[in-house]
Amino acid sequence: MSSSPALVVRGVVKQFGNHVAVEEVSFEVPRGVVYGILGPNGAGKTTLLRMINDIIAPDRGDITILDGLRPGLEAAQRIGYLPEERGLYPKMRVIDMIEFMGELRGLRRAEAKLRATKWLERLGLAQWAKNKVQDLSKGMQQKVQFTTALIHEPELVILDEPWSGLDPINAEVLREVVEEIRASGRTVLFSTHLMEQAEKVCDAVCIIARGKKVLDGKLRDIKRASAAEGLVALGFADDEARAKAEPVLADAGLVVERRAPRAGDVADCELKLADGAAPSQLLAALVAANVGVRRFEVVVPTLHQIFVSKVGDAAVAERRPEEAA
Amino acid sequence: MKPASDLRAMLVVARRELLERILTKWFVIMTLVGPIGMIAMVVVPALIASSSTAGTKVEIVDQSGTLGEPLAAALETKLEWHATVIDPKTPDRAELDRIRDDKINGFITIAKHAVDGGPVVYRGDNASSQAVKILLQKEVTDVVRAQRAVRLKLTQDQVTELDKKVDFESNQTTGETEGTSGMGAFAIAYILAFILYMVITLYGVAVMRSVVTEKTSRVMELMVAAVKPRSLMAGKILGVGAAGLIQITVWLAMGAITLAYRETILGWFGASGGGPGLPPLAFAEVAVVLLYFVFGFFFYSAMYAAVGAMVSSEQDTQQVQMPVTMLLVIGVVCLQVVSNAPRGDAATVMSNVPLWSPMLMPMRYVLGGATLGEVAISLGILIVSTLLVVRAAAKIYRVGVLMYGKRPTMRELVRWLRY
Repeated sequence: MSSSPALVVRGVVKQFGNHVAVEEVSFEVPRGVVYGILGPNGAGKTTLLRMINDIIAPDRGDITILDGLRPGLEAAQRIGYLPEERGLYPKMRVIDMIEFMGELRGLRRAEAKLRATKWLERLGLAQWAKNKVQDLSKGMQQKVQFTTALIHEPELVILDEPWSGLDPINAEVLREVVEEIRASGRTVLFSTHLMEQAEKVCDAVCIIARGKKVLDGKLRDIKRASAAEGLVALGFADDEARAKAEPVLADAGLVVERRAPRAGDVADCELKLADGAAPSQLLAALVAANVGVRRFEVVVPTLHQIFVSKVGDAAVAERRPEEAA
Repeated sequence: MKPASDLRAMLVVARRELLERILTKWFVIMTLVGPIGMIAMVVVPALIASSSTAGTKVEIVDQSGTLGEPLAAALETKLEWHATVIDPKTPDRAELDRIRDDKINGFITIAKHAVDGGPVVYRGDNASSQAVKILLQKEVTDVVRAQRAVRLKLTQDQVTELDKKVDFESNQTTGETEGTSGMGAFAIAYILAFILYMVITLYGVAVMRSVVTEKTSRVMELMVAAVKPRSLMAGKILGVGAAGLIQITVWLAMGAITLAYRETILGWFGASGGGPGLPPLAFAEVAVVLLYFVFGFFFYSAMYAAVGAMVSSEQDTQQVQMPVTMLLVIGVVCLQVVSNAPRGDAATVMSNVPLWSPMLMPMRYVLGGATLGEVAISLGILIVSTLLVVRAAAKIYRVGVLMYGKRPTMRELVRWLRY
């Protein structure tokens, strides 16, 4: 497999009327990873994905797909796409629908039919193959929709808000599929506003808000960087320990802020360390003061917390211009 | 994997559209029932015309004293009616009562001076029938004429000489051919123009609905990610058009067969021909009809596709398609202009305007109003304008397919065209 990135986005700008939907966004998706584009509704995620899929053209900037391809028909044969707007031809037979999409994405008809049959068997829909799409339940239609994105074994799979509207069973199916694609060395790019989901599956993310990139990188690096920003959860052994700790925690050279633990956490308090103060210094001071410590933990923020702290009030959802009435 | 190409994508789309259409019950039914309707158009009038009036019961109130008996005899022998000459003083009221009581079908009142031009009146429950009227008129006329001949003391030879048939016919020709029966040529041209109008409307609207369905079922985004909107639109028009072409070809073939074997088919139904004979369709005529269908369909369906891309629900289409449909209807309304004077200025101009040439030119050609050279010029204009319309429609289509909600204003439409 080539070592060129699966996707390179450079300085892409897209404007609808007076509204700048995507502003100078750049990021790079390496091969074989699961990459999340995160942001609130209206941040420009769908616009970005549509530009990669050559549905709309960027006003400025470059998009390079796989081995130096521009968005277009040739790239489309190596991309799988699950749009946020799910939809199939209601009057087509299930097997024909999948076969048709496979053919459009470059498969020969016989090959497309063969793979469609295999996919239907795998998803437990074999007995529905000859039914019309409209006769299927919503959950089954979702599965059919997955296959239309995957039938041609694309090297880059693009999923726009894949979990929205999925029932728990299909959400699990999708997670397995994503896992499988990564295991086979192919690349998944998806967008979501659900940070919990992203945290479970992403290797790397790009957070955007109001059309601008806020930060990007490997999830591990982002978390490590945020952890270094010095947040410590503390649990005391007893009330005596709490009293003994008071002078240490009052030291403005070590702790700048003391707050209640967040909901669900059993720590007694959460501390924000002063700039330049390492967690180990605080621990040493506490030990020196002979404080009975039950718990001392450098808090690794969740993606959601990182997101909120980085995006701040930019997270206010805005209406998308293309949906504006 | 096959190499990526717009052409291939277009054909894959076209195949889907074609199959989705022709594999429905309605398509099969319409394709087969259409010609049956055409056969019915030939057979039913002939059947009605030749249906027997035998057994009709009439009474004759003869005030002339000379016409009643010969008329009764003629009706009895020639038409197998039951005719009785009754008291000339019988009041109308009494006869009307007999009709009401279903004793007779009607009665004929012959005025005293009928031979000198006085009225002969038939009143009856079947007087609205064309056949009864025509048959009765002929017999009454014969009897009155015979009586006049007697008064003029004409010999039988002189009467025969007077009654000799005058051979007159009117043939439609513009000097190219010997000419065909005017009525027949008119009928066939009219039917062809109407079929073209019907099929273009039917399938143009089918293209529009297909676009709207893709928007309402939200499959559009999946599609435009895989193929260029231009290929999608072209494939759609080709696929739907192919279905229409299959249908119109079947219809024309069956129509041509019906006309060629008209007498045989009429024979199956026990009817005989008569009335104006329809001339058989020539190969060139069929070819012209098909060519105009193909390009007329492209021309209009591209417009309908653009309309479909501009709206986002089935209900909205009603209003937006109106201007396009009106353009087509103007063509149909003007069929008369062409049939009245196939070589006139109005017909010449209108059959060169691409909006109407698909309907008017085949008619003009069948009526002999245009040479193949003129057809070629009109067809050329149509083809060039079709390419322009398809290009403009593709631009509207490209921007419109992903628009949901508001319909674009004229200003926005113009902006889309400039993209």
